[in-house]
Amino acid sequence: MKAVSIRLDNISKTFLHRVKGRVVAVNRVNLTVEPGELLTFLGPSGCGKTTTLRMVAGFENPDEGRIFIDETDVTHLMVNRRNLGFVFQNYALFPHLSIYENIAYGLRVKGIPGAAMEQAVGGVLKLVGLEGYEHQFPNQLSGGEQQRVALARAIVIEPQVLLFDEPLSNLDAKLRVHTRSEIRHLQKNLHITSIYVTHDQEEAMAISDRIVVMNKGEIIQVGTAEALYFHPNCEFVAKFIGKINAMSAEVLGTENDKATVQIFGKNFRLSGVPDGVVAGEKQKVFVRPELVKLSNQTGPGRLTAVVTERTFLGEKIEYALKIHGHDLNATAYDPLQRGTFAPGQEVAVEFVETGIQILK
Amino acid sequence: MPPPSSPHRNGWPLRGVFRDPALFLSVAVIWALLALFIVYPLSKILVMTFERGGHFSLANVVEILSAKNQLRAFWNSLLLGTLVGLSGTALGFLFAFTAVRSNLSKGWVRFLDASIILPLISPPFTTAIAMIFSFGPRGLLTYHLLGIKNFNVYGLHSTLFAETITYFPIAYLTLKAILAGIDPNVEDMAFSLGSSRWRVFRTVTLPLTVPGLANSFLLLFAASLADFATPLILAGNSFPVLPTEAYLQITGLFDLKSGSVLSFALLVPAFIVFVLQRYWVSRRYYVTITGKTGAQTQIKSVSPWARWLLLTACLAIATFVLYFYVLLFYASVVMAFGANYQLTLKHYRVVFTEGFKAIHDTLIIACFGMLAGGLYGVVVGYLVAKKDFISRQVLEVVSMINYSLPGTIVGIAYLVAFNDRPIMITGTALILIACYVFRYGATGIRTTVAILQQIDPTIEEASYSLGAGTGTTFRRITIPLVLPALFTGLGVVFIRSMTAISATIFIVSINWVLITVRILEKMTEMEIGVAAAFSIFVIVVVFIVIVAISLVLRLFRQPGAPDVSNILGG
Repeated sequence: MKAVSIRLDNISKTFLHRVKGRVVAVNRVNLTVEPGELLTFLGPSGCGKTTTLRMVAGFENPDEGRIFIDETDVTHLMVNRRNLGFVFQNYALFPHLSIYENIAYGLRVKGIPGAAMEQAVGGVLKLVGLEGYEHQFPNQLSGGEQQRVALARAIVIEPQVLLFDEPLSNLDAKLRVHTRSEIRHLQKNLHITSIYVTHDQEEAMAISDRIVVMNKGEIIQVGTAEALYFHPNCEFVAKFIGKINAMSAEVLGTENDKATVQIFGKNFRLSGVPDGVVAGEKQKVFVRPELVKLSNQTGPGRLTAVVTERTFLGEKIEYALKIHGHDLNATAYDPLQRGTFAPGQEVAVEFVETGIQILK
Repeated sequence: MPPPSSPHRNGWPLRGVFRDPALFLSVAVIWALLALFIVYPLSKILVMTFERGGHFSLANVVEILSAKNQLRAFWNSLLLGTLVGLSGTALGFLFAFTAVRSNLSKGWVRFLDASIILPLISPPFTTAIAMIFSFGPRGLLTYHLLGIKNFNVYGLHSTLFAETITYFPIAYLTLKAILAGIDPNVEDMAFSLGSSRWRVFRTVTLPLTVPGLANSFLLLFAASLADFATPLILAGNSFPVLPTEAYLQITGLFDLKSGSVLSFALLVPAFIVFVLQRYWVSRRYYVTITGKTGAQTQIKSVSPWARWLLLTACLAIATFVLYFYVLLFYASVVMAFGANYQLTLKHYRVVFTEGFKAIHDTLIIACFGMLAGGLYGVVVGYLVAKKDFISRQVLEVVSMINYSLPGTIVGIAYLVAFNDRPIMITGTALILIACYVFRYGATGIRTTVAILQQIDPTIEEASYSLGAGTGTTFRRITIPLVLPALFTGLGVVFIRSMTAISATIFIVSINWVLITVRILEKMTEMEIGVAAAFSIFVIVVVFIVIVAISLVLRLFRQPGAPDVSNILGG
């Protein structure tokens, strides 16, 4: 089956909240999901990601704008006509039906004959590793198993579109990592256009082709995990995807998209500087903790900081530092090779120059 | 110093009781009361039924039930109960589905809630009286409006109709809770798999409601089986049922033995219902699957036109119910309903002069019953839910017996048991109060148990960990949490004391007159204006009490605090 595209054209949705009054949940969102792509909506709770997903599903109707699946306008089509698979956060298994009947439900609706249905159900049960569970009931299954039933039930109808609403948030950490790679494999093999909602940035980075970062009902940035991590377009994205240090710098001079800045009294030459950065002004600059290098070689001409806290995490050590009265975080990998530092110790600090960014 | 306790040596079950003398004492007192007021009367009925010449024998049962009329009464009772169960559940489902599954505005839902209040709080025979006013020989609808001269209001059809109107609110409350508990995501899921609305209803919503439907059917079946007053007014000679037959045997022919056997015949189906409800239906409720419910969703169960259709049907029925009560009120303020429609207050004058003793007696009994019953409910509920002692489960089941049995059986059992030595309390207020306490106090027990079971044990542990002792924890944590249950218990006993008839009719005496009994007397004496005025009086009093209690309950805004509907449904 040919994969389809999904297009959101300027959709908006407003809710009436009991305390806050009129709340704009989704504000003029435009977006295209490419055929076969797995796209993730990522954002803090209340950012509108679930509402947007539910509008694609047809559980909610947008107040404005149009939704296209395979270039067909489905804005006013009821959910049961959209041919999609939905995986709920709480799985929403039918408690009165066996696992077999749960999965067969959509096939029965479509009027698939008995033999073909049995084959299809058996097939997906095998795919999700639940053979032999046909006659169990949802409440007899563990959370992870229920999750896989929900997935099997969604894909068995061969939907054009797969939608996931935080499907892993009720699982424990280990199972979450395992299941997300299963979902990823399944989605790639079946080549079904998918939208995935999560508030967990690691999950989003692991599973997606592209990530849509949302905040307050608006799309902030769309891109691959790498693009968002290395080239965030604003402070919000930089802080939401991974960790980042914000520091104050003085701009000494600019030239095209290059600039010379002074951070903690030391000069750095930055490239890829956005417009509007003017010489002689203060400017916030950002650097990821793993691009803050620590060493024993303190001395003149080097930046010096004091370790205030040290957190050992196995493959890495996270340090909290004080530098010129400011807080700074650094992450050091490979502790055996590079040696470690103790709280109270003075260390030399180096910034990887290409990693320092100025953001809007 | 007590010896160090070891879990392995706790083999002797009475040990806990002896270690805690207060517990031992309270359990002993409760058991003594239960034995006296529940077990003893019932055993008397069984003895009366199965004893002949000092031996066990089925002769009484065979003899009395082989009488043609009695056997017919038995089957009629089952038929009526089944039909009321079916029609009441259907009507209740219509209302409940409309209220919670069709996206009505809050105002409409509140209206539906309000429209079922009147049948719930009235004495169970007010509908029957209104039926006579509306469809009787000089009925407003049949005689005056439609001009039908010989419409027969007596028989199965009108008994069924009146009982359906009287009891469908119970089905509504039961089913509304079930329907509201269905996770909308489950329905959404079915939609996303391609189901139409009708298919979602048929394959998801309805199957998930089945346990509730079964429960509601059983509740209504039992209510109809126990209903004495409606058939007395409406069934007529052509349709005898067990409670009325037993009443005629006892008060008409002073035949206690026949009465016992007939009430035993009633006991068999009632017991089956009790067992089915307790051990079958309650296990079939579907547990909501783990995980927090997803985003709130718009319920899409019905299309707009279906919604208006449902609402119209509900409105029609609600209007009809309201019409009954307007009619009842109207009958209480005219000279002679059916003949002279001049407005008058003379019926109310009768109520407050000649009828004052009934009001006075009823209120005294209701007040004492309320205090004793409320306390009884909380104490037994606390013991059952929080304390571990031998015979705990048996005690819980026994405490529910009188509540679950048809009132006719309880009334006859009390009559048979307390009419003679060693305990002769027939004719006193005590027998009436005891009857109410051990019958309706059960609601207080259930509410207390429900509340206490919802309280996580860690809440009390948290209090201990903050340095509070057992006494302080009980006073500061347990009692405030249980108070709503106490008020619910008080309310139920009071209201039922005002409206009950099926058990009371057998144990009233000239010393203590009850309003409900006076209403029935007035109905048979054809003083229907006074009967109507008395009914309105009871409804007003009960309504005031309900409002007061719901205001008190509103003060306790803690999770798990019972809703006022607990009182009504109980």
